[in-house]
Amino acid sequence: MAENILEIRGLNKHFGPTHANKNVDFTVKKGEIHGLIGENGSGKSTLLSQIAGLYRRDSGEMFVDGVPYDPANPIDANRHGISMVMQELGVVGNLPAGVNVFLGRTGQFSRFGIVNMRKMRREAQAQFEKWDLDVPPLNQMTDGMMIESRKMIELARALSVDPQLLLLDEVTQSLSLNNRRKLYELIRKFKDMGRSVIVITHDIEEMVEITDTITVLRDGAVIGSVNSQETSPDEIRMMMVGREISGDYYRADMTPTYGENVVLEVSDLTVPHELEEVSFTVHEGEILGFCGLSDSGIHAVGRAVYGLSKPTRGRVFLKANGVELTSPTTALNNNVGYVPKDRDNEALMIRASIRDNFCLPSLTELKGPVGYLRPGKLKKLAADMVDSLSVKCTGIAQTMDALSGGNKQKVNFGRWLAKDLKLLILDCPTRGVDVGVKAYIYSLMNEAKAKGIATILISDELTEVLGMADRLLVMKDGRVTRTISRGEDFTEQTVIGVMI
Amino acid sequence: MSEKNLRASGNGNRQNRWLFPVLFAAVIALLMFLFNLVSGGAFLEMSNLRVILSHIVYPSFIAWGFCFLFACGYTDMSIGGVIVLGSFASCILGNKLGIPGVVIGGLVVGMLLIFINFLIFTYTKIPSWIAGISLAMIYEAIAVFLKMGSRTKALVTASLEKPYRVLGQLPWSLVFLAVGLVVIYFLYNRTTIGLNIRALGGNKDVAEKLGISINKTLLAVGLITGVLIGIACFLQQSYAGQTTVKTGLTSINMIFQPLAIYLLAQIIQKRINIVICVPICAFILYAVFNILTVLGVPSGTLQEAFLGLFIVIFGVIGQRKVKGVVK
Repeated sequence: MAENILEIRGLNKHFGPTHANKNVDFTVKKGEIHGLIGENGSGKSTLLSQIAGLYRRDSGEMFVDGVPYDPANPIDANRHGISMVMQELGVVGNLPAGVNVFLGRTGQFSRFGIVNMRKMRREAQAQFEKWDLDVPPLNQMTDGMMIESRKMIELARALSVDPQLLLLDEVTQSLSLNNRRKLYELIRKFKDMGRSVIVITHDIEEMVEITDTITVLRDGAVIGSVNSQETSPDEIRMMMVGREISGDYYRADMTPTYGENVVLEVSDLTVPHELEEVSFTVHEGEILGFCGLSDSGIHAVGRAVYGLSKPTRGRVFLKANGVELTSPTTALNNNVGYVPKDRDNEALMIRASIRDNFCLPSLTELKGPVGYLRPGKLKKLAADMVDSLSVKCTGIAQTMDALSGGNKQKVNFGRWLAKDLKLLILDCPTRGVDVGVKAYIYSLMNEAKAKGIATILISDELTEVLGMADRLLVMKDGRVTRTISRGEDFTEQTVIGVMI
Repeated sequence: MSEKNLRASGNGNRQNRWLFPVLFAAVIALLMFLFNLVSGGAFLEMSNLRVILSHIVYPSFIAWGFCFLFACGYTDMSIGGVIVLGSFASCILGNKLGIPGVVIGGLVVGMLLIFINFLIFTYTKIPSWIAGISLAMIYEAIAVFLKMGSRTKALVTASLEKPYRVLGQLPWSLVFLAVGLVVIYFLYNRTTIGLNIRALGGNKDVAEKLGISINKTLLAVGLITGVLIGIACFLQQSYAGQTTVKTGLTSINMIFQPLAIYLLAQIIQKRINIVICVPICAFILYAVFNILTVLGVPSGTLQEAFLGLFIVIFGVIGQRKVKGVVK
């Protein structure tokens, strides 16, 4: 019986001229929680994708339980006891949640060609219950569900093959605190069962906490593996980027600093099933943080302020311009920017060019007489933004889907900075980005603050809101339960206590 | 809160899932009553209802074909041309072999041509609407070529002899409709291939990564749509008795009404399953045409304008408060 569930020797993978994985040696023991970390574009997802059967390797060897392994596709990988929750996979929106759990394997519920939908739903429910996950409405189409629910469906799908090795590619970034805790519990359960997990996350502290071993990748090659108990986040950061990086990329000051002028005034905002009488103000140069559990309604605040949902009561008043925000058009025309949580589906035009994505929010400013858009102007704006944000790309004509997660997020965030903003709404702005891009995004937030832009920062990461916000609104069941100012009881323990 | 409420709304919808169909049925009944009133009682006469019912069968099969076609994200503009050729084959073989010839002619040509179309869509990667238009021109040309040697009267039409038209008449056409409804419902909603087709249209990348073979699924769509169009071919020929040669892409006109049925069904599909919607919408549509004819509205442009207006009104009603739908 082999000691290792997975052994990889000398694995190489190329995408055109890009050498995505260079001679990778990688081993996962049975019952081990193994972390995989590296900057965006370091080849982590490529490595997992080859293990999961999504890509074929160019050269090298893989062994599962000591037996040579070369999965033809994800279903083949499932047959070998390996399943994966992918970073950007998603679910099929026009099919019910229950079907999504078994998509590609619905044949197991069919008799004489007819799929027994009830049996499939029952089995899907059993999967959620077996792993102590909240059961979503299984006969409901997934296109109306929140990103977190969709991620949990993907998790249930991966678990439904009863894997010996579970691959989690940046799953926690989509989850709020309570579901993250459930996932940690699930990972521990896996370990107790003698099964293994490979986890990719950009949250170094989280990785050190939940894993046994951490392997660091840089530019497609393995830099080294360390025992999680014997390392520190700083050591991991240094291995990742090849130089020393301080973990203090958050604000150092502990007093709220913002102007007196109120930019946004939200009063008694009520959106059925999402928000209940939410009231707050945001000042010039203020970063107002929102945090809460998955059902708290924090993400609904961003949508409602930007005019994406229809409140039944209350109003969103942009005091700076004397305008009530009732629709995204009004918001956009009044210098309000919004960076949604789900960047691929809600923010970016993924198959359009970098240029088009950068220019879209600024078309009003860019258009000339009779609405004519001069190509030179568009090109300049995009090129300037690519330079100033250091977006790694082949040029502004490159399509967004070819960029790594971190570079996509630079475009997603940075394109708003080309506008003369009054208010910026950020919903999980550092989701799925590495430590370098994260630090860069925080510096952009600080720049925006210095310019007097009011920012609403919604985040599932407590450290992020605690690190950046001037004031923090804790939400529960769609209501604001407490407002805490920077410096005044501004600790994780206090906030978690209020959240729960 | 949102998740809890999603769940709550799911349960709520489960309780109310029959509300819309019941209301919808009541609206249709009311419409029929009004139609009958304005037509002075002519609309609900059995002979008139028979005309409508026998008219809706073959367009329903074409619209069901669209359900599979559009579910996987493809468009085929050559279907009209295929129907012309399939109907010709049905007519030629029917006049020689009787009713089995009618069925075999339409079915084989319909299946074969649509399958060829999908082979082209799948393996050449040409956008399906572009390839479809090119194929439509080819099929129209073949139909003209086939009729070249005919005498003057038969130059533009192919007529099926009367005894062999029984499949397009009541009650046989309704038997086809009923059996078709059951089979297609299960195929679309309750089979692995049906779910795979919908997954392909919903998110091709996800479908592919989950091991669903894109090419196999597309060819299955070609086969299923081919069978449905093949059935429509012989039902059309049996119903109308003759088919006219189309040129200059006028064969595309032949799919306009089934397309309108599909669009209407698509509007309501968030409330009622699309496969069930198709014959209901076909009935509504032809009832509207029927009443307009009874009222003396000239057929053609004006009737189609009414039809467009009707679809818009239904669209507005159908899309109201659609959220968290259970199907």
